[in-house]
Amino acid sequence: MNIMELTQEEQAMFDGDKGRAVQEAIRFQVEVGKFFNAKRFVPIVNAHVMGDIEVMGDGGLEMMRQIADEGAKCVVPSTSNARCMHFSDEPRLQPDKAEEDKERELVMHLRRMDISTTDTCINYQTVYQPKLGEHVAWGDTGTVIYANSVFGARSNFEAGKSSFAAALTGRTPAYGFHLDEVRRGNIVVNVSATLSDLADWGALSKIVGHPNQDYYAVPVFQGIDTTPPPDALKHLGASLASYGSMAMFHMVGVTPEAATLEAALGGNEPRQTMTVTDDDLQGIYDGYSFVDARKNIVVFSGPQQSLFEMQRLAHLFEGRKVAGNMTVVVTTNHSVYSDAKRLGYVDTLEQAGVVLLQGVCFYILQRLSDIRAENEWANLVSNSAKIVNTITAHRFNTVLRRTADCVDVACTGELK
Amino acid sequence: MTTVHVDRAWGEKVGGQVLVMREGFSPRYDLNRVTGVISRIGHSAEGESIKGKILVIPTAKGGVAGGWAFFDLLHKGIAPLALVFGKLNPVMVQGAVLANMTITEGWSQDLVRLLKTGDTITLDPARKEIVF
Repeated sequence: MNIMELTQEEQAMFDGDKGRAVQEAIRFQVEVGKFFNAKRFVPIVNAHVMGDIEVMGDGGLEMMRQIADEGAKCVVPSTSNARCMHFSDEPRLQPDKAEEDKERELVMHLRRMDISTTDTCINYQTVYQPKLGEHVAWGDTGTVIYANSVFGARSNFEAGKSSFAAALTGRTPAYGFHLDEVRRGNIVVNVSATLSDLADWGALSKIVGHPNQDYYAVPVFQGIDTTPPPDALKHLGASLASYGSMAMFHMVGVTPEAATLEAALGGNEPRQTMTVTDDDLQGIYDGYSFVDARKNIVVFSGPQQSLFEMQRLAHLFEGRKVAGNMTVVVTTNHSVYSDAKRLGYVDTLEQAGVVLLQGVCFYILQRLSDIRAENEWANLVSNSAKIVNTITAHRFNTVLRRTADCVDVACTGELK
Repeated sequence: MTTVHVDRAWGEKVGGQVLVMREGFSPRYDLNRVTGVISRIGHSAEGESIKGKILVIPTAKGGVAGGWAFFDLLHKGIAPLALVFGKLNPVMVQGAVLANMTITEGWSQDLVRLLKTGDTITLDPARKEIVF
């Protein structure tokens, strides 16, 4: 088995000179590095940690308690991903009380470790934008693919303890997307479809990602004749990561490592070339169907909404009311919520009957299967191609629709 | 006796019954993590419990939940015994290492075709071999 080469400082961490938490962190990283034949560590400048009580459970909480009790601190600026609870009084979305207490304790421990609990899966839009070539350790797939693709930064999926370990040691094993050769494109996607809504970008990713589930598949998009806004790239990336388990894409003329198709491929002979047309896109929407049900939910989440998404939703819902048999949930992070409140978007949405949640993502809500059953929701409609894929363990019937169509479903109750 | 070679492996030698999946797997997308039963509607292993099983999975699906989920399943007493992937992502390795769960990637023969749920296999990470 491969042994990673450690610097003097890393060896000191490994030997326990910087405390037990750091020792356990780097030993964990070395084991992961061995699997991927990593030769060394790379220093990181930022960590984004994923951990909430719904996914880490009591064992994870105890681990965080021990790390914080030891006084271990992050050695790079670190933020937290979206949480599984919103700590509001909304009666339709209540967590277990005991789990809520644990989640509050967990947040406290994260803060003791010097993690800024931003509770966001859109850190790349609202908190930190790494530079070209910068190594980071981010613990959410949508954030990782955005970092690699749009910023040209370098991160693997750093899940569970992995992102915490990187925050404590200030480094991560050099494998995967930290390496030049892994970042080169290997699937060419010619796009002739018109992409007019955020849902279209996610649908495009479903077409590319679903049949090519491979962490090391790197699609290169070309032929897109518009300048995609950040929210479009966000939905494209989040959906690719979800359907394809992919961590990077290139877009010719748009992303920093893809000035040309040749540059994006970096000498690779593409393993596949595909074309996506308007008919292909329509086929994705046609592939979803509603089940006959009285109560349903429309969700704008996964990823959390940016300020501009909030603005657009406010415009679409202005002067309208959510239908009596429908529930509408919008999630965003604390900073966007604050601005959206100041700008009047929150009030407009709330007047329409929309439920706004801060610091969470809908599909990771604690006890979501029970919440679904209690509210008798059958269909979940969203403009997020990611969320209609990620939420299925909770047995929703999911339907992807364009943003304005989602709002129409929400306000008319008509399933179309 | 059949021996299948794997590309990468981590963990202790283990043996047990397999649960064979015909498509990708994510603990978040496909599993009820309270009961340990595959809950995604239409999944090839829908209704099957993962507890104590060696999961044979062609691909890892996206999502970081696996980084914590296997550790959590271990604490709940409903963890699988080991993970055998055709292709995986780092999440599965990070999750397996945290839960001290044997994991392999890449196979010299198609295990989804060769094995059926309930068969017994032995994983030997040191030799990068699966024997049944």
